[in-house]
Amino acid sequence: MNAPNPIRAWDSRRQGRQRRLERAASLGFERRIATPRIKELLEAVIEPRDRVCLEGNNQKQADFLSEALADCNPERLHDLHMVQSVLALASHVDLFERGIASKLDFSFSGPQGGRLARLVQDRQIEIGAIHTYLELFGRYFVDLTPNVCLIAAQAVDAAGNLYTGPNTEDTPAIVEATAFKGGIVIAQVNELVDKLPRVDVPADWVDFYVVAPRPNYIEPLFTRDPAQITDVQVLMAMMALKGIYAEYGVKRLNHGIGFDTAAIELLLPTYATELGLKGKICTHWALNPHPTLIPAIESGCVESIHSFGSEVGMENYIAARSDIFFTGADGSMRSNRAFSQTAGLYACDMFIGSTLQIDLAGNSSTATLGRITGFGGAPNMGSDPHGRRHASPAWLKAGREAGGPDAIRGRKLVVQMVETFREHMAPVFVEELDAWKLKESMGMDLPPIMIYGDDVTHIVTEEGIANLLLCRTPEEREQAIRGVAGFTPVGMARDRKMVEQLRQRGIIRRAEDLGIDPRRANRDLLAARSVKDLVRWSGGLYAPPTRFRNW
Amino acid sequence: MNAPVHTQLALRHSYFEASARSRVAQLLDAGSFREFLPPEVSQPSPHLAVLGIPGAFDDGVIVGSGQLGGKPVLLIAQEGQFMGGAVGEIHGAKIVGLLRRAIVERPAAVVFMVDSGGVRLHEANAGLIAISEIMRAVLDTRAAGVPVIALVGGSCGAFGGMGIVSRLCSAIVMSEEGRLALSGPEVIETVAGVEEFDSKDRALVWRVTGGKHRYLTGDCAELVEDDAASFRQSTIDLLAGLTEPAPGSSALRTEQKRLTQRRERFAGMRDGLEVWAAMGMARPAEVSLMDRDSLVAAKKGLPA
Repeated sequence: MNAPNPIRAWDSRRQGRQRRLERAASLGFERRIATPRIKELLEAVIEPRDRVCLEGNNQKQADFLSEALADCNPERLHDLHMVQSVLALASHVDLFERGIASKLDFSFSGPQGGRLARLVQDRQIEIGAIHTYLELFGRYFVDLTPNVCLIAAQAVDAAGNLYTGPNTEDTPAIVEATAFKGGIVIAQVNELVDKLPRVDVPADWVDFYVVAPRPNYIEPLFTRDPAQITDVQVLMAMMALKGIYAEYGVKRLNHGIGFDTAAIELLLPTYATELGLKGKICTHWALNPHPTLIPAIESGCVESIHSFGSEVGMENYIAARSDIFFTGADGSMRSNRAFSQTAGLYACDMFIGSTLQIDLAGNSSTATLGRITGFGGAPNMGSDPHGRRHASPAWLKAGREAGGPDAIRGRKLVVQMVETFREHMAPVFVEELDAWKLKESMGMDLPPIMIYGDDVTHIVTEEGIANLLLCRTPEEREQAIRGVAGFTPVGMARDRKMVEQLRQRGIIRRAEDLGIDPRRANRDLLAARSVKDLVRWSGGLYAPPTRFRNW
Repeated sequence: MNAPVHTQLALRHSYFEASARSRVAQLLDAGSFREFLPPEVSQPSPHLAVLGIPGAFDDGVIVGSGQLGGKPVLLIAQEGQFMGGAVGEIHGAKIVGLLRRAIVERPAAVVFMVDSGGVRLHEANAGLIAISEIMRAVLDTRAAGVPVIALVGGSCGAFGGMGIVSRLCSAIVMSEEGRLALSGPEVIETVAGVEEFDSKDRALVWRVTGGKHRYLTGDCAELVEDDAASFRQSTIDLLAGLTEPAPGSSALRTEQKRLTQRRERFAGMRDGLEVWAAMGMARPAEVSLMDRDSLVAAKKGLPA
């Protein structure tokens, strides 16, 4: 047997941590950092080429720490490798433009997608990979473990314990990976209090905290004003409820955030209840606290919701409905994105959401030219997990439709719900996704496809439902898609005879095939038609942000 | 707090969002409506045709007869979704013709479903003349002893000349979503500047012109939820006790005195919130979220 290597240090990360903490101590820093000195602390504990995790999702943002880091001296801090869920703030991109950071591993870039694409083309940024949230969290524990993480919490006590408030989100995953691998945890908090409502992160995992000059930014991303739902969306929602939810008895599910699925949520107390579906569908959710789900909850259609994050204005409603939401002994919600993503991936029988483009194989993407955005959690929600082993009626039925009566596994229902044309009369159905051109122009390994066609089970449009599970050949699949693609060029190029055959086999179903009278499809069926209606349904507990109020 | 509203909320048919035809169908006794100048005989506006603007076969207004709670009524319904319900020459002529018919036929009432921003500017003087003829016809109809009931709850509200016409009616039934005023918010902003009135501040617009404000200040007789069935029931109830007294100057003097006093009492106020506070509402900020019943109860409790 070989003797232990005498040169190899086995605690270099711990030593690195010690070195950083000593530098901070030599500058007089204790656990609580005075707000004006935050930049000085960051320059003391972060080293060039460090891997830094900056907390921020499309809801909660460590915006003060992000701005402070962007303001640091690029001669002191440079070549940082940023690992973060979402690149959403201007200061996130500033880091790269100012030469502080050079490499990025992330999941989603939403509003900064255009600036990010320019940085890539100008070679000012190296992108490691674009992940889903779960992949990125996973890599924090494998090969992207942060040296330093900058996180956001609601409150801290004198000992340094943190309370995240209802927007727990990514904090537990980030802190766990950092604190247990010799990293440094720095938190921005909205307030210092004597006693926390509950402890979400224990003090001995937190090295420093700073009271931010203003509360951390939270985007009300999941609020959809019912006033903007159209009659066409009501029709599509009726078809989805009758043709998919009822048909498969879908009880455990996740919804996307568009108006299409908001319409479904608002039909649960009316149309779905009228069909006798209350308690038979949509009882258990992995879902953010959508305000449009309030009428269904109040009508007794919903039993449980686990959330990825909270939603601005829903706090009091959630606290008063602890049978439904996951809340602490203090009454406020705890949302842990990693667990909710896991639930969406493995514990749900259905994902239904919208997209911008669908090709003839059913591949879908929200990527558009000149922007690099990533897809956050959607690729996990919208995929059939081959690692699943437990059965449910919906999962089994879908599996047998795809593989026959002797199928050895079930299928998750992955539903894409789109109007055939989106804004500016851009067709959703296309021969080739823009993702391919984007791949070329950005030098990517793969085209940015959000949901792969072989995972998609149904496509719902105003023209009907295409059941791709029942298609037996690529040609049938293509004609099933063309057969619901309306007046888009893709839809116009259908083989009419074959589409009619598919309809006879129940692969394509129109509203009339489902026994739905399109004349009933109007906004009168919505349980709420305005944000004010939602407030009334909630008994005044829901307090929408001002931008959604007209009172 | 408000009474439980779940069932009502789930079962309502929005009056605000409905088309004029669907409002008519939901307001009258089932199957009783008979349209005068139905689509096949009426003409679209010649003025719009000259301008190359698409017309509507009914020129944006439906007139006819029907039964309401078993009583015969004549009915006018403006379509806010066609040119904002604006009054053009044919549109106006249909309304005037119906009101004159009422003087002859003596129905229990004329129901006037207002949904209009006022004169159709494309038709210039023809539209202005139409509005003044409607005003005259409403007063003539009332003088003949036939009440005219205005319903205001459409997305275009009742503005400009149609704001005046509404106030000339015997009574107004309004929903919270309805708006009633002379100059529209955008007009005020254009003429007097955003400092005077910010038309994009939807909350302010409703606090100054909306149904709740009009109900608290006594400009409308009844406040209803935004629900076609509520408009129907309220109109039926109103019909039961409504008589049209012979016109006389003493009633007009009393009304003018009331309005003068009101103007002095609320002089200088710029927001419904200030007016409601001056009227004695304990928590004016809560008015916006109250349901109809709570607001009606709150008004009863106000000092005279």
